[in-house]
Amino acid sequence: MPIGPFGIDPTIWAVLRLLIAVGLTVFLVLNGALVQIFLERKVQAVMQDRIGPYHTGPFGLLQTFADAIKLLSKEDIRAKLTDAPFFLAAPAIVFSPMVASFVVLPFGPDFVGAPLNVGLLYLTTLGSMTVLGVVIAGWASNNKYSLMGGLRSAGQLISYEVPQILGLVTVVLYVGSLSMVDITNAQPGPLVNVLILPMAFVTYFIAALAETNRAPFDLPEAESELVAGFLTEYSGMRWGVFFLAEYGEVTVVSAIMATLWFGGWHGPGVDALPILGVLWFTLKTYVFVILFMWIRATLPRLRIDQLMGFCWKVLIPLALVNILLTAGLILAFPDPRLPIAVVNWLLVAALVVGLPFTQRRRLLRFRSRTRESVAMRDALLAPPMLD
Amino acid sequence: MFDFLEPFFFVLFTVGIIGAGAAVVMLRRITAQALLMAFTFACMAGMFLLLGAETIALFQVLIYVGAITILILFGVMFTKQSESDYALFFQRQAPFAAGLAAVVALPVIVLAFSFKDVATPSPRGGDLVPLGSSLFTDYAFPFEVASVLLLAALVGAIVLVKRDEQ
Repeated sequence: MPIGPFGIDPTIWAVLRLLIAVGLTVFLVLNGALVQIFLERKVQAVMQDRIGPYHTGPFGLLQTFADAIKLLSKEDIRAKLTDAPFFLAAPAIVFSPMVASFVVLPFGPDFVGAPLNVGLLYLTTLGSMTVLGVVIAGWASNNKYSLMGGLRSAGQLISYEVPQILGLVTVVLYVGSLSMVDITNAQPGPLVNVLILPMAFVTYFIAALAETNRAPFDLPEAESELVAGFLTEYSGMRWGVFFLAEYGEVTVVSAIMATLWFGGWHGPGVDALPILGVLWFTLKTYVFVILFMWIRATLPRLRIDQLMGFCWKVLIPLALVNILLTAGLILAFPDPRLPIAVVNWLLVAALVVGLPFTQRRRLLRFRSRTRESVAMRDALLAPPMLD
Repeated sequence: MFDFLEPFFFVLFTVGIIGAGAAVVMLRRITAQALLMAFTFACMAGMFLLLGAETIALFQVLIYVGAITILILFGVMFTKQSESDYALFFQRQAPFAAGLAAVVALPVIVLAFSFKDVATPSPRGGDLVPLGSSLFTDYAFPFEVASVLLLAALVGAIVLVKRDEQ
């Protein structure tokens, strides 16, 4: 009889391994969300010169636990005219792909749930399934705000999926593998991918902000315009599940960025002590999580036409040019690292320098439009001639 | 010990594809149709997984569940929904539909029963390299033609929308 790890029968071990993996993932997701909500409150508080939660537990650490218990014990409300089965199914449709994404994340040298050789494609696929849940939630709520939120979300998520995937393609071209483990192994030293492919990183980072509905791209749930977007009719733990999914997705895209551009689990001391890799990976992931919060505290929300225009007129052309140049340089040079790095940094510079010019033209247009409308108002409100 | 799993999942996916596909045609609720259509596509992806074609399965989900279903939903939500029954030009379509379905189904059935020896599935995820290399060598021309066709459709759609605005 063959013996698997820990002297357990391999067939039983397969089932046991699955159960352990699912248990660990749910544990990670739930605790990750709790930690992130706490971090979000504290980071925002620091940035807005406040203290943040501090009453419940040491440093307010137990505040999110209290909130989670409150959410769980809330009354389960469903409006009468909602489309019942789909209204109930939508949170699950958003939540489950996010949980499934954790399977291929490379936490450490030997801490990968399933080292798929198409891991990156798998992550992209699961990321694209979220849209369906959001659109269904918007439609099933039978509420105009929800529907508008769902439609905006469909347009936004489908549009930003394109630059997101194009950003990944550049890295895949350069490394030559779709496997998360191979991509991590390809950047062992201090020369991580972000130094060679910064444009792909910028593209992916902006698209990932939009894909996870984070500010400044949080139009599907824009409070000042749409009440709460597709979440309007949701309350209690169903609303909580949507937020768990959002925080989980933030973790997943942060982990993708840490793996693809910042060397994943690699860091000082990993060769001697592989478990350190988990620490480095988590730290790198949380740097991006906090960066997301920083951006949320800094930037105002975009308008829907600015959002779409930026995606289709700026990000996608730049990403396509980047892919074309990177592919050409890989074919042209035996060691293409330096030329690719030069071209990529030039593209980043073009983006950074070029954006204010497009904004200047837009500003001039707005100013002339304002002047016209002011002139029109003055003409209408001009006091009638009495004499 | 787990030999029963493959036939079990095959039956599950088959029932899913046929049942959900029929329900998409029969039902009238847009949410149900969309979800069931996505479910049909997901079951198709499961079939590809059983055949050892992981990459194709993932592309199936990425393109059909993640994009095409959403685009159809998007279209339906943006167009006007009338409460009345559909006013179709041909009111009695059943015989036509049956005839057309038979014409399509016959070759498929003949083809399905002509398979005698099924090739053994390749190891996990082994279809990525063959798929990529055949797409860009043997099938490079159809691939390029398809991409030009899609580009033409994209430009055409933009032209139509712009003409409406003017």
